[in-house]
Amino acid sequence: MFKTIKSNFATADVEVKRQDLYKVVIKYDRLSALIDFLYNNYTYKILNAITCTDWIEEGHFALTYLITTEDRSNTFMIQTLVGREDTKVESFSKKFKQAQIMERDLHEMYGIDFIGNDNLKELSLENWVHTPPLRREFDTLEFVNEHLTFREGREDNVDVKAETKRLRALKKAQKEADKKAKEAADASALKENEDGK
Amino acid sequence: MENKHITIFHGPQHPGITGNMSVELDLIGETIQKATTHVGYLHRGFEKLVERRTVIQAFTIVCRICVPEPDPNEANFAAAVEELAGIEISERSKYIRVMVLELSRLAAQFLWLAGQSGSIGLYAVGQWAIADRDLILDLFEELTGARVYHMYIYPGGVRRDLPEGFLERVSKLLSYMKKRLKDYDDIFINNSSFKNRAIGVGIISKEEALANGYVGQVLRGCGIAADVRKDAPYLIYGDLDFEVPTELGGDVYARALVRRAEMDQSVHILEQVVEKMPEGEIMVKMPAHRKFKLPKDDTWVKVESARGEFAYYMAGDGTEKIRRMQVRGPSLVHAYTLLENLLVGAELSDVALIMNSLGICPPEIER
Amino acid sequence: MEEGFLLEQKTLEGDLNSETSHQSSVDFLMNWFRKRSIFVLAYGTGCGAIEMPPTFTSRYDAERLGIRGAATPRQADVIIVSGYCSYKTLRRIIRTYEQMSNPKYVLALGSCTVNGGMYWDSYNTIKKLEDYLPVDMYVNGCMPRPESILEGFIELQKEIGAGKASSWQKYEENHEFYRKNQEAVLGEKVEPSYEADWYLYEGGL
Repeated sequence: MFKTIKSNFATADVEVKRQDLYKVVIKYDRLSALIDFLYNNYTYKILNAITCTDWIEEGHFALTYLITTEDRSNTFMIQTLVGREDTKVESFSKKFKQAQIMERDLHEMYGIDFIGNDNLKELSLENWVHTPPLRREFDTLEFVNEHLTFREGREDNVDVKAETKRLRALKKAQKEADKKAKEAADASALKENEDGK
Repeated sequence: MENKHITIFHGPQHPGITGNMSVELDLIGETIQKATTHVGYLHRGFEKLVERRTVIQAFTIVCRICVPEPDPNEANFAAAVEELAGIEISERSKYIRVMVLELSRLAAQFLWLAGQSGSIGLYAVGQWAIADRDLILDLFEELTGARVYHMYIYPGGVRRDLPEGFLERVSKLLSYMKKRLKDYDDIFINNSSFKNRAIGVGIISKEEALANGYVGQVLRGCGIAADVRKDAPYLIYGDLDFEVPTELGGDVYARALVRRAEMDQSVHILEQVVEKMPEGEIMVKMPAHRKFKLPKDDTWVKVESARGEFAYYMAGDGTEKIRRMQVRGPSLVHAYTLLENLLVGAELSDVALIMNSLGICPPEIER
Repeated sequence: MEEGFLLEQKTLEGDLNSETSHQSSVDFLMNWFRKRSIFVLAYGTGCGAIEMPPTFTSRYDAERLGIRGAATPRQADVIIVSGYCSYKTLRRIIRTYEQMSNPKYVLALGSCTVNGGMYWDSYNTIKKLEDYLPVDMYVNGCMPRPESILEGFIELQKEIGAGKASSWQKYEENHEFYRKNQEAVLGEKVEPSYEADWYLYEGGL
């Protein structure tokens, strides 16, 4: 099976991660052909999940489809790379009914448009007008500081790093002063001894 | 006189709903014509929060993804990090992890009993079930320090060793449970009012269940023996002896019988674990927390929770922070693809019954 | 934290120590009746809802203090905000709170209502509940144990008995302040207010 896949569909080898998990990286235009091939010939008939990872440094999304055999003993991870701007991907909701809700979730979180999916309304967010949240350019802490306020701290609230630095400098200065005082005391004791002699 | 066509919300503030979600129903009289699920009331953006955190910082918030049953989340997170970093854990920590997972599964089945019986009005079963579940939570408090969110299973092993005399207390609880579970048969499973309400309601066919990717007791109630612990064994389940119960009805009563039989199997597994617990260390030597880098790779791990197959996808990118963590709980497909089709033609008073039997838990749908 | 008989003794003795000199005798009697029968709205808004079944069933039994559940907001006295609030839930909580009839109290459970808790950098939850709803009692913890929730209820009962729990009056008087904060977070489309008696304030019948 691996030889046929590599010769017809993929550009790299099929990776065996565990005894029940295989992974292959293919180009986007061979995606539905490979899923049909596995569906018809090797009983990979169940779609488990569709996930997406944002590699902003390399400028693409990595879309992964996970399909499982009918006796649930083996899972195949099929990964393709698609662009980050104006992404349009073909939908699998006619072939697998559960793909509709998974694609709706990805559309809301990443802004990927699935052609052929007839229900792409909002799922978890309500009246959201900013960038799709799971994209890497959306900074969640900046968003929170801009739109919401926290409770003010207590009056004796101090910044931990600044306070530790101050206490350490204080301790060091104290140690220097003690050392100088000891040296002065030693020197004066020595001088008294010499005078006494 | 004609029946009116109205639209109501079986909504978030409702005593008959499993968690904080809502179902919008189009009714004619009392028969449902169309159902639409609405979730999103509990969306906290976990997958974005985890991207800002290192492994030990993310470990503290991962258990809060699924509220009734937090331990499969911790086990999945630890298994994914261990697979990416190539860490092998010791035998004793594997046995302890299986014990924690099975106790958590038993506690979640008691919570299901309380919900399912409350939806028809048998409130006495709920009082018994929550009190019995509290005895299991007492054991958890002794072992991990907290009743609900344990934060105990960490990549590399478990955080604390078993206290002295803990295994005797577990054995005493198991012998109490064996006698007590027979009482639930008399009061609930063989109760004629439950049988009259539940037989023939919410039937799912076998082909549809396989093709659409349903998991857990939905498949087992239709006659397919599907269980991650037997299909793709993880931890030490390959060495233990247990069965996967199935029923052929496909309706609410069949799923209830399956879950009741699973409680017996959990007690059986726990007895074997208590007997065979080996000695050894509980945590392998891990690199320093601030320098623990994950390689640029991805993986997919899964665990059998009380409601079905729970899976995680994790990807690292060579730094200390986690690049992507996707949670695929069993309720995503059940709440949308299954529920919207199953409720068409049902009566309004059966909505709570059907939702409880499918085991829909909203926090893991929208994370 | 006592259980059983000692708990009931503590609630009875609480009456003897409370400050009641500033109340008239009718007010004192009304508050005494109100605190003996508290109806809690059946709404589990977040994580904290998992420790509410143990509190209200037979092991930690809250019904001996007069606390039981109510299904509809019209008959409920207390709404428990159990944990974090996302924007979608906050809209429903405000609408439900405004449907409840006076006197009504808010019990905030968990550390997420105080300062955001562990979702402090999440883009979909609010950080400080007091900006949007008036809170009578905070119970800390993640989760608070059932004994802590019972202690929170006993403190609430003491405050009701002394006539100090009046958050619904604060909501009516400072309605513009709360409404401004709610609109800043939820957008302009907050539901019309069920609150104030419209036949008194808006021109009558």
